[in-house]
Amino acid sequence: MYEKIAPHLEELTRALGDLEKTGIRAEFDKLIAFRVPPDVAKESILRKFGGKRKVLKVKDLSANLKNFELTGRILDLGEKSIRPQAGAPEKPSKLYTGVLADETGSVLFSSWKELPGSIGDVVNIKNAYIRIWQNRIRLSIGEQSPVSKISDSSLPPLSELSASYKKKLIDIGAVDFSVDTVACVLQLSRREAIVKGRQSRMISGVLADETGRLPFTAWIELPGIDIGSIIRIEGAQVRMFRGMPSVNILSSTKVSSVGPEEAGKLAFTFESAAKDPVPIKIEELGSRDSMFDVSVAGNLVSVRPGSGIISRCPECSRVIQKGNCRVHGKVEGIWDMRIKAILDDGTGSMSVMFPRELAETIYGKTLEEAEQLMFSDVSKDAVYEDLRRFLTGRYLAVRGNSSKSEFGVSFVAENAWVPEDDLAVRVVELLRRLGPDEENVPDKNSQVSGGGIELA
Amino acid sequence: MLKREVAKRVFAREFEACRELEKSERSDSEAADSKTPNLLISPLGLILNRVFVVGVITELDNIGTQSEMWKARIVDPTGAFTVYAGQYQPEASIFFSTVQVPAFIALTGKARTYEPELGSVFVSIRAEEVNVVDEEIRNRWVVDTAEQTVERLEAFSDALTSGYRGEKLREYLLQKGVSSELTEGIAIALERERSPDEFARLLRASIREGLKTLDLDSGNSTDAKADQKEFVLELLREMGGSKGVDYSAFMGAAASRGISEQVVEEVIRFLLAGGQCYEPKIGIIRLVG
Repeated sequence: MYEKIAPHLEELTRALGDLEKTGIRAEFDKLIAFRVPPDVAKESILRKFGGKRKVLKVKDLSANLKNFELTGRILDLGEKSIRPQAGAPEKPSKLYTGVLADETGSVLFSSWKELPGSIGDVVNIKNAYIRIWQNRIRLSIGEQSPVSKISDSSLPPLSELSASYKKKLIDIGAVDFSVDTVACVLQLSRREAIVKGRQSRMISGVLADETGRLPFTAWIELPGIDIGSIIRIEGAQVRMFRGMPSVNILSSTKVSSVGPEEAGKLAFTFESAAKDPVPIKIEELGSRDSMFDVSVAGNLVSVRPGSGIISRCPECSRVIQKGNCRVHGKVEGIWDMRIKAILDDGTGSMSVMFPRELAETIYGKTLEEAEQLMFSDVSKDAVYEDLRRFLTGRYLAVRGNSSKSEFGVSFVAENAWVPEDDLAVRVVELLRRLGPDEENVPDKNSQVSGGGIELA
Repeated sequence: MLKREVAKRVFAREFEACRELEKSERSDSEAADSKTPNLLISPLGLILNRVFVVGVITELDNIGTQSEMWKARIVDPTGAFTVYAGQYQPEASIFFSTVQVPAFIALTGKARTYEPELGSVFVSIRAEEVNVVDEEIRNRWVVDTAEQTVERLEAFSDALTSGYRGEKLREYLLQKGVSSELTEGIAIALERERSPDEFARLLRASIREGLKTLDLDSGNSTDAKADQKEFVLELLREMGGSKGVDYSAFMGAAASRGISEQVVEEVIRFLLAGGQCYEPKIGIIRLVG
């Protein structure tokens, strides 16, 4: 048997290095034990561990990446004991978690084995992968990820890496933990919430600067700060919720008002930041993980299945099928209407979700009218078909939040309208860009050929 | 990635000049994957697969033998798209089986090429979704498409005058803020085309003409030409223009109301180019809508 697999093992060693140490050998043997032919086993091992190893920087990390190499400085390190699940034969294991940073950003990590370094050290990780944990990406270091300590590294020192970054709102994303920013408060509301069993006061609202807007939450009092204030925030935490970053103001965060003379030098004022967002290209949405409160315009090129009248579980609002909720079993559903459609402006395309009020507006029928249509027709897709006939091809502008996933950009509309810009003005501008009529300018080609004849 | 292909806005003139983009020509490794769609490239470097078109459907035939296969012609201000829908495009086929020709329609579909013999290439659209729209949407589409085409034309001319080729050109265009996809397309297009500026010049002229024929109801249509056009249109309607009017009979009727033949001809040409009427047969004029 060994003779059969030896050449394959040799090949794997050449491609992947020491098989015993990284546990690849064990994986290979497991496949062989399951009667996988050796050459097929080799192929799948190569696919899993081999190929071109990508060397990435923190800013390049995104969901579902695997088998890449990364070098970073450990900013924070802690360990957790994981209790084994009842009945599991394994002994209690430890999970090492912390923050790793390079000059492009920082990322949370979790490792199932002890790292060869502590806070301040630079480590190189091979065969790392990314998992999503609590709505943000997390670098995972598994049993089969070789980690080595690098003693002389050109990475910036600990003090520089752990300082929070000064950022414009649009640049704040999943790779940030702690940021400094100057922005204007657009919305603000105070409410009470129960957090970890304790009644606490919180403030939530929206911040804006010349680049964009972001939601914020404050867990401390913000005396003297209200809608219209321009504030400097230092050391705020960035939290991710449904792919959207949010600025979290904690007790360790410094918040101060920006004086009038300094505010005069900023690239925005409350008035400019509070204006309705100017429509942008869908292409731009695709270049960022998420965008908060933006507007775009395009054609509804397709109304997706699942649009129209749906039935929701009265307990949990999940969409139910055939009167059965995935969680609550047989329930009496509540009718609702929604539209899922593809909006495309020629530079990009995105999937837009219109909740009931907006669906009623753009469809021009209320839920009750749509229900009548549904009951008056034998086809259960009557409303969907009607929506398609009514909406496909139409122009629509939407305002709301976008986020990007592996399936492209998805957008939740908070407002929608038919764009009304003056076509005549755009035509005049286009004619100017196209230049004068050819008939009116002397024909370049004839001049050139004329010259040619003279020469001859 | 299961990302949806963007529906490109392109005029018929540029679309029918598109040719297949060989997989080996694409530089990025992801594109070499066999799952990537068939891509076409225009002489200006537009890389496309899905398109979104709004125009007038002027011809519709069922050319299928065993099962249905619809062939339609959709006219825009610069030319016409050929569209097919067969048994694997059931929604589009049902639409074509019910639509009244002529009408303004909006359509998404995938570009296809067919090369029966070397040197003659037919570019067509395989329909995905089709719907009837109004003239307002058609006009917006023409302006949108003109804007995106002009942007492309400007980047293309810029690339031509720079004199760079290959890697140097790519660097130059990216630095100018041209998208990476168009940069790639222009670099490939410049290697293919023998007289690249010739097509750009034709397309410019064609778009300019197309924009001028748009009927935008913009309030400043008080000039004599607009009045005459309105009058000729009215007359066409009176004479049953939506069913088709004999051209010479129409000329006679117009002359009896004091409009010169020259003006009628001009207006009809204008209406034809603008897609508001068409000739189902030679000598017959029919109004759209």
